[in-house]
Amino acid sequence: MRSGYLSFAIGALALAVGSQAAAQDIVWARDGDIDSLDPHRATSTLSRQVWYQIYDSLLEFAADGSVVPNLAESWEVSDDGTVITFVLHDDIVCHDGTAFNADDVVWTANRAIFGDNPSLTRSSWGDVSSVDRIDDLTVAFTLETPFGAFVPFMADQFTSMLCDSNADAEDFGTGSAIGTGPWSLASWSRGSEIVLEANADYVNRGRPVDNPGAPLADRLVVRTMPEGQTRVAGLRTGELNVIVPPIQEVASLQEDEEVEVFVAEGTGQNMFLQFAVNRPPFDDPRARRAVSHAIDKDMAIQIVFGDLVERQYCPISRGVFGNDPEFCQQHDQDYDPERAMELLAELGYGPDNPMEVVLATWTGDNRERMLQMIQNQLAQVGIEASIEVMDIGTLNARDTQENNREDGPGYMDLMGWTWFDPDLLYLLWHSPGAYEGFHTPELDAVLEETRTAIDPAEREAAVQEAFRILLEDAAQVPIYTPGWLWLYAVSADTPGFTIGPFNRAQFSAMEPS
Amino acid sequence: MQERLKSAVNLATAASDVAPSRSALGRRTLALFSAVTANRGARVGLLLVLTLVIAAVFAPWIAPYGPSQMGAGMSLTPPSADHWFGTDEFGRDMFSRVVHGARLTIQVGLIAVGISLTVGTLTGLVAGYAGGWTERILMRLVDVVFSFTETLIALAAVAVLGPSLTNAMVAVGIAAIPFYARVAYSVTLVERNRAYFDAAYVAGAGHFRLVFIHLLPNILPPLIVVATLGVSSAVLAAAGLSFLGLGAQPPSPEWGAMLSAARDYFTQAPWIMIYPGLAIMVTVLAFNLLGDGIREALDPRQKARQ
Amino acid sequence: MARFLVHRLFAAVLTIFVTTIAVSMLIHLVPGDPVQIMYAQSQGTTPEELDAVRERLGLDRPLVEQYISYLGRTLRGDLGVTIRGEQPVLELLLARLPNTLILAASALFIASIIGLSFGFVAAYKRGTWLDTTLMTTAILGVSMPHFWLGLILLFYFAVQLGWFPVAGSGFPNLVLPAMTLGLTNAAIIARLTRSSMIDIFDQDFVRTAHAKGLPKAVVLYRHALRAGLVPIVTMMGLQFTYMMGGAIVVENVFGWNGVGRMAIQAIFQRDYPLIQGFILMFAIVVVLVSIMMDVVYVLLDPRIRH
Repeated sequence: MRSGYLSFAIGALALAVGSQAAAQDIVWARDGDIDSLDPHRATSTLSRQVWYQIYDSLLEFAADGSVVPNLAESWEVSDDGTVITFVLHDDIVCHDGTAFNADDVVWTANRAIFGDNPSLTRSSWGDVSSVDRIDDLTVAFTLETPFGAFVPFMADQFTSMLCDSNADAEDFGTGSAIGTGPWSLASWSRGSEIVLEANADYVNRGRPVDNPGAPLADRLVVRTMPEGQTRVAGLRTGELNVIVPPIQEVASLQEDEEVEVFVAEGTGQNMFLQFAVNRPPFDDPRARRAVSHAIDKDMAIQIVFGDLVERQYCPISRGVFGNDPEFCQQHDQDYDPERAMELLAELGYGPDNPMEVVLATWTGDNRERMLQMIQNQLAQVGIEASIEVMDIGTLNARDTQENNREDGPGYMDLMGWTWFDPDLLYLLWHSPGAYEGFHTPELDAVLEETRTAIDPAEREAAVQEAFRILLEDAAQVPIYTPGWLWLYAVSADTPGFTIGPFNRAQFSAMEPS
Repeated sequence: MQERLKSAVNLATAASDVAPSRSALGRRTLALFSAVTANRGARVGLLLVLTLVIAAVFAPWIAPYGPSQMGAGMSLTPPSADHWFGTDEFGRDMFSRVVHGARLTIQVGLIAVGISLTVGTLTGLVAGYAGGWTERILMRLVDVVFSFTETLIALAAVAVLGPSLTNAMVAVGIAAIPFYARVAYSVTLVERNRAYFDAAYVAGAGHFRLVFIHLLPNILPPLIVVATLGVSSAVLAAAGLSFLGLGAQPPSPEWGAMLSAARDYFTQAPWIMIYPGLAIMVTVLAFNLLGDGIREALDPRQKARQ
Repeated sequence: MARFLVHRLFAAVLTIFVTTIAVSMLIHLVPGDPVQIMYAQSQGTTPEELDAVRERLGLDRPLVEQYISYLGRTLRGDLGVTIRGEQPVLELLLARLPNTLILAASALFIASIIGLSFGFVAAYKRGTWLDTTLMTTAILGVSMPHFWLGLILLFYFAVQLGWFPVAGSGFPNLVLPAMTLGLTNAAIIARLTRSSMIDIFDQDFVRTAHAKGLPKAVVLYRHALRAGLVPIVTMMGLQFTYMMGGAIVVENVFGWNGVGRMAIQAIFQRDYPLIQGFILMFAIVVVLVSIMMDVVYVLLDPRIRH
């Protein structure tokens, strides 16, 4: 036993020495790990943030949120909107030294759209009928129908460009990943850390960061540390340089001169309530409106998050095309407990017969505290809500299940989506809908118009019409933005950290201490 | 666990000195009670258990505020005359929450132990009584399940049932079944070989009568000890599941869940992490002391060792 | 001796066999549609696509057929891929298993040193204030929820005082979780050791040795300690599996990157292939440890050797 222990201890010691951070590292600690290195096999923000360091997309979002060239030096949309042609830079090099060209783009797109096991976000590519290599540097995507959200999607992490040499690796996505981004993968120890090395050949062609070439640090180490207080302690002792701070510690970190707190803006994230609409009580819009009238959203936000999040009025987030708080406030169901009680009385609920509902959300980011506030406010108008907190994947499945159940108590949940385009509404609410929940023929028609309208003013009108329907029927009750992983606390010793739009953390201009 | 198994088997052998008639059973219970209260540790245990039960039963009268009542005070105030245990992030009174938590804890103890005691006793009893293949198959299965730890079985059960406090209670109850089955089995084997059982058998008593009228009352005393100690491990296990987020859900004042939520406020308000933990510890301690006391009172051999 | 080991090996194989059945059926016990949960992250999956997945996974075939194909795959070392991220399950488990074993072994080491010495001294000084103090400490230790102790140690020593690094999985990071798990289990070992040593002290050969006028130290070391070792060593095997169970919770407190932390995440994410793999792997480890302990037992116990 003893000698066994000793060898264990020595092994552990060796491990400790091995993982000691070198001087030129930037260490970034988060509360969870990535699910996969393969952008077609996961959807979590934790994964997307890391893909962004390893891979580039054809296009990028500039600091103002507009779409700009990146791997593609230019692009062109045909007059009928069905053929999009990209011309690549001629000097792009993959992490393994091979040249990046049209073959890589075709390989990536075919894998995502037409592969045996296509991308989890395949439907966001639109109705692509073919991806063709025109010449070494030119690629054309042909669509069945025009799709306004296609071009911005080419700047998303879900369309990260993979090098076709990944095809030769058996462990692509689990142990290897070859891209063209500022950092290349050195190793991934699951649940513990991802070690990325600076790509010395990197040329910044579109990223909104103040560094034209290779990152300043030698390595970017991405650690998984579930306990928030230990991340804070690590930041203060200098073990860590960038952390996801627990919300409770933000105020004290903001006062700390050794630390700078960054709040991501224009994340595209939107936190809202949605309902199981195919059975009572929430098949009746009055029940949904009553819930919205019962919630003092500003007060709940203030107590749970303070100034770290903003009130959200529209079904899509601030910074996204079409968002118009003034318009949305004309149509939403704001705090009015009297009105809520009237509506409940109309539906036959009262002190002797309270409405009983389930109120769900997913774990983390103080959401369960937000639910407790909402629960408390609902109780004041006589709605008894019981809280259930689960993993995001489980919640997604649960929402669909609840929409397909014919009996059971009312169900609603605090859900969050992030997208760079109002096409999100099509994804969520066009029949059958992401959760097979609320949809109407009227809304379907409006949403179809948002996809095919090419004139911006026309599209905006359609988007706002969709807002009106969703808000007046209280199918989607917007509450706040952003919702997750939007806070960064950075050590003052390692300046240069910035956040691009849609919550893209930029490390390449960071100076190691 | 092994310690408990061993002493339970000792109890079985020790019990054979006592006459098994009905009226004797009443006398035995009385004698047991006075023997238990003679033990200092058990007296402390009994007192603590009584306090817990009183807190649970009279929670709404003892607690100055409702367990989920927000804004009972400012948020995160330290312990004071108004709020004995301080307040949490929503200004809920921690003392009221801890007191109401006692209700859930008692529930956990009763339901989880109820499940493992009932199913375990029946399994062990049937195996010990029937013998032959029934015995072999049942006890082999029990051995297999026993070889995993309770934690693993409880986790597997929660994985299937999904997280909630009720499911956590059931999971913890299921996890302990093999243990109770083993105790019941070994005690049944002892009782089966005693004169009263043979007499009833010769007199022509049926299976049902033999098992439930003759065997069951006589195997109960050692099982009571095990069940008393079992409350403490059930409370601990269920609190652990809630702590991990697999049990009680907010705003439940379940102590494990409260501890879990309190983590985020450690630097600002350490007291909200102290009291729920202390409550779990005192409860577990109380049942451990009481269980030890009952065991010593029942087991002459154990007493001799003091 | 050979018969004993063969018997134990047979039991081990049986345990694993039963586990594979239970594990392969787990997915059918889940309320709701597991396939829907698996594909919840995928945008716009059609019912036809879900049916195709059911067919691919064989969930539409008879249970026996499903089990046989599961067993076949498992024997080839194919435990499938996770739902989240489609990572190979076996690889994930094997990468983290050493961390859990290191934690459990270190904790057992700490628990043994403290538990054995406390128990031995208490038995030797039976009835004195020292005995009372040690055993009171022990019962407090048994009653301490390890997730609570862990939080207190973590926040005080790592966060507040900064004595231990908070990131990484090296030796300094091991200290606090191993202490947490070790201290709470030391109490159990102390109690067991005490009662086991009291049994030995009371036995004739120790008394005879005393009577013969052998020096106290010789009696203690050569006779009592060695005789007392056998039950204690057997107990270690069981303790190790408890440590593995306890590690599941403690890993989550400290963010220690072992299989336990992964298992809890998997339960939250309803990642059934990963949960199934975890249970199977845990069973195999438990069985291997118990076989190892059987061998040690055979080597140590003179009665079995001759």
